[in-house]
Amino acid sequence: MEAPQYVAARVQGALAEDDRTHELGIRVDVRGDQLFLRGQVGCLERRALIADVAAEAAPGLTIHNELSVVDVREPEEEEKL
Amino acid sequence: MSLRIAAVGDVHLGVDVGGRYRSHLNGIEEKADVLLLAGDLTRHGTLEEGEVVVNEFRDLPIPVVAVLGNHDHHSDKPAEIAAMLRDAGIMVLHDDSVVVEVNGTRLGVVGGKGFGGGFAGKCASEFGEPEIKAFVNHTKRIADRWRVALKELDADKRVVLSHYSPVNDTLAGEPPEIYPFLGSYLLAEAIDAEGADLILHGHAHMGTEKGLTSAGIRVRNVALPVLGRAYGVYCLNGDEGC
Repeated sequence: MEAPQYVAARVQGALAEDDRTHELGIRVDVRGDQLFLRGQVGCLERRALIADVAAEAAPGLTIHNELSVVDVREPEEEEKL
Repeated sequence: MSLRIAAVGDVHLGVDVGGRYRSHLNGIEEKADVLLLAGDLTRHGTLEEGEVVVNEFRDLPIPVVAVLGNHDHHSDKPAEIAAMLRDAGIMVLHDDSVVVEVNGTRLGVVGGKGFGGGFAGKCASEFGEPEIKAFVNHTKRIADRWRVALKELDADKRVVLSHYSPVNDTLAGEPPEIYPFLGSYLLAEAIDAEGADLILHGHAHMGTEKGLTSAGIRVRNVALPVLGRAYGVYCLNGDEGC
């Protein structure tokens, strides 16, 4: 059985290098046959694509997509420096 | 007079989100006098994404100054993307400077993409294989150009705009193992030597907004996921009109 660290590294590499994603800041953890994705992405479509690419890179694992979509709030009062 | 600097990085625009960010820029002239973009404006660095960035930031009522990030280099078209932005009136820095007149104050902005290598005591050296030497030398050459640009800059206020981080303060929250890929102390060393009023950077999505250089220059990580708001606004004149 492949060590979970290598599976997580392969998925992280796929997310960075796959033309559909190019996401560098996604945390990937593998526990048994479960794969967890955590971090922030720009929109719901990208969130779904990341899970697709992860599933292709780690077939047979159950993907838990815990990614959140960045909530862009309005600017606050300026900081005085 | 007020000198309010709006800044954001890592907006990572693509055709899938075109037009969404622009709505947050409505009324920016009421909140800020200039907008600085800290790189990673695109996801893949394609010309199509460059067009989205142009449409998102063109024709704003305040000046816009940008640097590119590593994502903007991915398709090997950084010069073409920079030219598209310049054609739309957006100033793009590539290890050089620009001076913008704001309410009677000459704001000098120096910067570029920056690069990695790590931080003092935990960094790569120009030693060994050519690949390692090239990696470190790339950062050294950038730092040297920033030092010269700052030395020659004639402005009332000085801001450095980078994509990579010059300090590790603003990386808190990122895994320490990847710090050498997030920035380099060589950038801060060059800036500290010549002086600046503020340093803005992006790149570290899981980092922290506020930090300092060794000489006490304020550093702000303005990556969009860090800010959680459309842009940060920093007033350089303190209580004198902000």
